[in-house]
Amino acid sequence: MKRLLFSLLILAFLFSNGLNTVSYSQTASGAKVAAGSNTAPKLVLPLKEGSLRFAVIGDTGTGTDKQRQLADVMVKYRTAFPYDFVLMMGDNIYGSESVQDFQKKFSDVYKALLDDKVKFYATLGNHDLAIQINYEPFNMNGKEYYRIKKNNVAFYSLNSNYMDKKQVQWLEDELAKDTSDWKVCFFHHPPYSSGGKHGSDKQLREVVEPIFLKYGVNMVLAGHEHFYERIKPQKGIYYFISGAGGKLRDGDIKDVSSLTDKGFDRDLSFMLFEVVGNQMYFQVISRTGETVDSGVLPNQRKKS
Amino acid sequence: MNQKVKATGLLLIALALSLSPYSGSSSLAAAQTQKTESSMSEGDKQAIKLFESRVNEYMKLRNQVKGKLPKLSKDSTAAQIETYRKTFEETLRTARAGAKRGDVFNSSGSEYIRRTMKTEFDRQDKAEIRKVVFEAENKDVPMRVNYPYPESKELTEMPPTILLKLPQLPKEVKYRFVGRNMLLVDRDNNLIIDYMVDALP
Repeated sequence: MKRLLFSLLILAFLFSNGLNTVSYSQTASGAKVAAGSNTAPKLVLPLKEGSLRFAVIGDTGTGTDKQRQLADVMVKYRTAFPYDFVLMMGDNIYGSESVQDFQKKFSDVYKALLDDKVKFYATLGNHDLAIQINYEPFNMNGKEYYRIKKNNVAFYSLNSNYMDKKQVQWLEDELAKDTSDWKVCFFHHPPYSSGGKHGSDKQLREVVEPIFLKYGVNMVLAGHEHFYERIKPQKGIYYFISGAGGKLRDGDIKDVSSLTDKGFDRDLSFMLFEVVGNQMYFQVISRTGETVDSGVLPNQRKKS
Repeated sequence: MNQKVKATGLLLIALALSLSPYSGSSSLAAAQTQKTESSMSEGDKQAIKLFESRVNEYMKLRNQVKGKLPKLSKDSTAAQIETYRKTFEETLRTARAGAKRGDVFNSSGSEYIRRTMKTEFDRQDKAEIRKVVFEAENKDVPMRVNYPYPESKELTEMPPTILLKLPQLPKEVKYRFVGRNMLLVDRDNNLIIDYMVDALP
């Protein structure tokens, strides 16, 4: 009975803080833009002065033409939406990891962005050697898991390949003292997913979700599944999968999933985010330049 | 959504939360750690102590080897990383020439790990753990001590609920599944330090 009352209190708190006001604009431009064409980006983000802007890619490291085409679209969108950094969801380098592989699968592909001083922040996937933590352009600073702070947002990159006691303790310690308005965790394996190949990582979820709830994590970003998916908010937390930066698992999102708010598994894609105070705007763009999803997420922990 | 539907939805979620294992305030990790330590027999404590001392012996040797290599910066190029990884691997392999299975996974430590796995399997959804472990495309990784884990092979995610129950390792040494077998792998040079067979029930 006590647990029931406690849960009701939590719900009442979340409810009063605007969870019910989560709104999504299900936009889809419809107008397909050929990859590499000169058609102007169709930005739906507000582009407010002083806002925090970043991109998200996952499962990129293939070195294929399609990965490069998606990177070209990212460059094109940056002319309209100057983002400062890119979060990488892991599987940064598939297969062998020679010097040539790092070039072909990363530095050559994103050369225009790297030359323009866009910073990449990586996390480790199940295809990545851990020694990548020392690769300067990944900005992991020699750490398997780390925190970065940008304006009013704290980002936690976690190593979901190896969620051991030390990492769990570190995450709890860091989150406990974190007073940022937004707390965003990103890592490779998705706690919630409608993928036919992998699906939700329930093992991982059992360990990390209680921590996310306890310390008010707002949003979780993951990869691993080679598609885009916006999960219906789970226990008040926003979950996204962006794992089609270089590989695609065509048609892998299960039609019957009750988790999906929006999915896209027909082409490669990346995400753009803009944080304006207590609002988190997002736009998802395909390799052909089509906007496949967009919306705005209110901060669950703040009154608007 | 009208108010009645909204209220019903909230009530249902509240009921679900009240029945959920997540509704407690302390983390699972802390709870599991406490339980593991308090319910451990003297024999298990000794087994873990021996296992950890073997790991420490390995760490001492690998750190000696590492100390003679040029330092790898946190801001390295791909070329520096490749050179370091390969040099480290070759030098350490030479230093560990003669290493064999069971050097680190001693008999009592292996037995403790097998029992821990079995307990976890009995407690949890076996299918879920098996899915995590067996979906990795690494079945043909050769089980050879003191040889590198092939860099092009996928790494199995270690199921966190199991990992939290196993003896802690230094950050440079990782448990890793290949099928039902469990390996110890060096993070920085990818060498298979040791392995035990049939770790999973």
